[in-house]
Amino acid sequence: MKKQNIPEPVPFKFGKKLKTYLGIAAGVGLLALLIAVFLQQLPSERIWANLWMNALMFLFLGLGALFFWTVNTLGESTWQINIQRIMESMGLTIPFAVILFIVAFPGLKDLFEWTHTEHLDKILQKKEAYLNFPFWLFRFAVYFGLWSFFAFYLRKISVKNDFEPYEKFLARLRATSGWFMVIFAITSSMAAWDWLMSIDAHWFSTLYGWYIFSGMFVSAVAVIILITIAFRHFGILPNVNAEHLHDLGKYLFGFSIFWAYLWISQYLLIWYSNIPEETVYYVERVNNFGTIFYVNVITNFLFPFLALMTRGAKRQQLYLAIVAVIVLMGHYLDLYLAIMPGAVGRENASIGLLEIGLPFFYLAAFLTLFFIFFEKAKPVPENHPYFIESSDYENI
Amino acid sequence: MGAIIYGHFTDELELLDAVKELKDKGIRIADVRTPFPVHGLDAALKFPRSHLPKVAFVAGVIGGSLGLLFQVWVFTKGWPLNIGGKPHLSLPSFVPVTFELTILFAAFAMGIAFLLRSNLGPGKIPDILDEEVTNDHFQVILTVKNNSLSEVELAEALAATGALDVKQVNEEK
Amino acid sequence: MHVSPVREPLINGEKSYSDITNDVMAPIKAKPGKLWFAGLTVSVIVMLIGFAMIGYTVWFGIGTWGVNRTIGWGWSITNFVWWVGIGHAGTFISAILLLFRQKWRTSINRSAEAMTIFAVMCAGIFPLIHMGRLPLGFFIFPYPNTRELWVNFNSPLLWDVFAITTYFLVSLLFWYFGLIPDLGTIRDRMKTLWKKKVYNFLSFGWKGSARHWHRHESMSLILAGLAAPLVLSVHTIVSFDFATSVIPGWHTTIFPPYFVSGAVFSGFAMVLTLMIVTRKALNLQEYITVGHVESMNKVIIATGSIVGIAYITELFMAWYSGVEYERYAFMNRALGPYAWAYWIMMTCNVISPQLLWIKKLRRNLAFTFVLSIFINIGMWFERFVIVVTSLHRDYLPSSWSMYKPTIVEVAIYMGTFGLFFTLFFIFIRVFPVIAMAEVKSVARSSARKFLGKPVKKQKTKNQ
Repeated sequence: MKKQNIPEPVPFKFGKKLKTYLGIAAGVGLLALLIAVFLQQLPSERIWANLWMNALMFLFLGLGALFFWTVNTLGESTWQINIQRIMESMGLTIPFAVILFIVAFPGLKDLFEWTHTEHLDKILQKKEAYLNFPFWLFRFAVYFGLWSFFAFYLRKISVKNDFEPYEKFLARLRATSGWFMVIFAITSSMAAWDWLMSIDAHWFSTLYGWYIFSGMFVSAVAVIILITIAFRHFGILPNVNAEHLHDLGKYLFGFSIFWAYLWISQYLLIWYSNIPEETVYYVERVNNFGTIFYVNVITNFLFPFLALMTRGAKRQQLYLAIVAVIVLMGHYLDLYLAIMPGAVGRENASIGLLEIGLPFFYLAAFLTLFFIFFEKAKPVPENHPYFIESSDYENI
Repeated sequence: MGAIIYGHFTDELELLDAVKELKDKGIRIADVRTPFPVHGLDAALKFPRSHLPKVAFVAGVIGGSLGLLFQVWVFTKGWPLNIGGKPHLSLPSFVPVTFELTILFAAFAMGIAFLLRSNLGPGKIPDILDEEVTNDHFQVILTVKNNSLSEVELAEALAATGALDVKQVNEEK
Repeated sequence: MHVSPVREPLINGEKSYSDITNDVMAPIKAKPGKLWFAGLTVSVIVMLIGFAMIGYTVWFGIGTWGVNRTIGWGWSITNFVWWVGIGHAGTFISAILLLFRQKWRTSINRSAEAMTIFAVMCAGIFPLIHMGRLPLGFFIFPYPNTRELWVNFNSPLLWDVFAITTYFLVSLLFWYFGLIPDLGTIRDRMKTLWKKKVYNFLSFGWKGSARHWHRHESMSLILAGLAAPLVLSVHTIVSFDFATSVIPGWHTTIFPPYFVSGAVFSGFAMVLTLMIVTRKALNLQEYITVGHVESMNKVIIATGSIVGIAYITELFMAWYSGVEYERYAFMNRALGPYAWAYWIMMTCNVISPQLLWIKKLRRNLAFTFVLSIFINIGMWFERFVIVVTSLHRDYLPSSWSMYKPTIVEVAIYMGTFGLFFTLFFIFIRVFPVIAMAEVKSVARSSARKFLGKPVKKQKTKNQ
């Protein structure tokens, strides 16, 4: 085993320069919103849909990271321990997503037609027991309550081991991860139905929850890659080497293919059976949002498939970062396609200043919270029993 | 007449050390034979990366294209049929077979390339010098042909690395 | 590579490389015992009865089965999907666990892959015979003919032909190429001349050359990368047989990943059933340890939970859709004439694997053995429920009918067990049940006590 000289880590400081950049980004986002509302005077559904879309993307990053951490813990895998603190800190942003969702609540009537209880058609009446605001709100609270609890509790266990390593540490982490996994599986699907599928309330697809999950996961992996590369570049995580990048690249590659697999499963089955109440979903998208529809598949499948196929591609920092950025934007586009046709419609939906600018605010908010949490703990869990294994392995 | 000098180790770590030593002395190693792939041996012997993945990729592209184009031809030119109202160029339907043929071609092309490149196959007789290589011996083989040293010098060098049972065989490899 | 001391050892006892060779080769060298002969005989007899019944079906027609209008698929397709599902574990273990660097796969992958190939062979019988005119079975392949007819590329049944054929061939390739080095080991250990010649032929001239190993590893990694999506695609395409239809209970978008999870679920259960017995019978407990069983149980609980969540999702979505046919289909499953099958399925598939959250049970071999059989029973009933309940009552009540298998169908199903076990009994005698080379490669890092030279001697001696 080559024993390179691993330099001392540069301690992470959430300093003035970083805060200024984030402030500028937030400002750009807010400016885009203000221009959209006051100058361009865009229709309100479009504004609310954008707020909704960004809140979801914000949540997906944290939730996807929490899932990634816990599933690796359950699988007794160890390579990810060197970047575990990144995933932990991302997970801690989940409770704050609540605020971003609530900010969009005034737009619920625009987004969801089932909220218009005065004139529900026959189909929506049949769904009323589930799609009604009080029950919906209750579920909203339950999802966030549970996810936030796990994000904080898992973090607590992890940080506790830094200072007082204890015997039951791994077992506690595994057990908690197990509980989270079951709860996540159920709540993530239900959240996808509540917050996305019910925008097209007359439509349904049993695969939908898993499909949204796959996009969530790939987005989170892309952001983990970007943060890991940044930290590696600035010497904050000197133990992270090409092997870790390779593994992260494998996940980006593999799960982009998994996303595409779920995409084609849903599309092919609905296309093949040609049942009108199902096909209406895709007809709307292919006819009225055609370019974005196909760009979505190319950016989220064809591009990462070809770009990340070779071994070398996954081990090169800059290349991997660029691919991750493009894929992240691609999944944002996927979310756009999930929301805009149903919430806004062809005449008013478009990729404009608002769609491009607003994400900067949410990105800045996400990173601000992330950096605050990352600073609070050691950059790597050095007392983790698998820590050495994490730094000492090789890919073929 | 080429002489072949060989010896073995009972431990892969010793083998790695020996290989590094021999390489440092500038001796060209004809072959190293092990019961399992030894981690780090490829790097020590400075093997170039195998080209089999490229074979798989090219074959996969060929297989996928053949599959897709054939289906398109069958349903647009060969005998277009109305199956459940689907268009003749029913691309979503063509995805499964295209995918399967891609994998089939890639896998088999690579497998056959592996056998051809390594000169393995049904009926091939291997030149086994030490039957225990497939059990627990890690064998290093040197030839006079590859090196500018004599048999005696090679044998000495090999023995100096700690190899056991250094033998010589005077056959053409 | 560093392996944390906290990890459970993968090999128990005190082993050296030659111990591994001898332990795994023992069943091949030894004379088969009475139990093996008995097992093989029973398997062969059952298999021949099944084949006879297949002949009977081909001669007298599908009328000898219980299928009718509207239930054109009964036991035949249930069995087909069941066997294909079981055949998923092998490639999952070899390919996906290889990609995830799970070292524990090394002592079970050989048998699991063999089991996959045998299971796919059993599965393939059903689509062939259920078409009725078996001698014309070659019609399913696209070959140029004077009628200028081609196969229907728009049909999922044809996609199946390609998927199963590809899966069978690629699994065979993966299994065999992994076997080659071990066949070399056996060749060099065999003393009887005719056996040595046979293994010489089978081992393709393998000599353990480092260059060959390098290519072999590279090839295995690529094959794993190819086989992983292949495994997913095969049962996905099988699920398309149902999901591309329009009938309630069949047409639902969750089928592809749900079927794949179910397949891995049942496959691992079958691997466990076989391995728990094999490890005892062939004295390989130190290689197929309780830790291995626990790891497999973890996969079972993961995939079993996914299957359970899929059931709940389907149920919810049937209600949520508001479509009365969809709602009725699920009410009928739970409360209609086949409700007994539905509840067996729910108990075996959803409730019983959840017990594996308890560590003590995960590491209990007797419990695992019984559970694995229940899981496979449950998965059979899952396919039966899907196939039969959606066919026996769909949109038009005047067409509703019932289905019962005939003794011919049951005998054919039993016959496939005969085929499966015949092949498996032969396999354990002729081929190494454990991948020797792979286990040796993890022995130093993961054995409880590895009997090799001590790790490092003083550098100064050679410098």
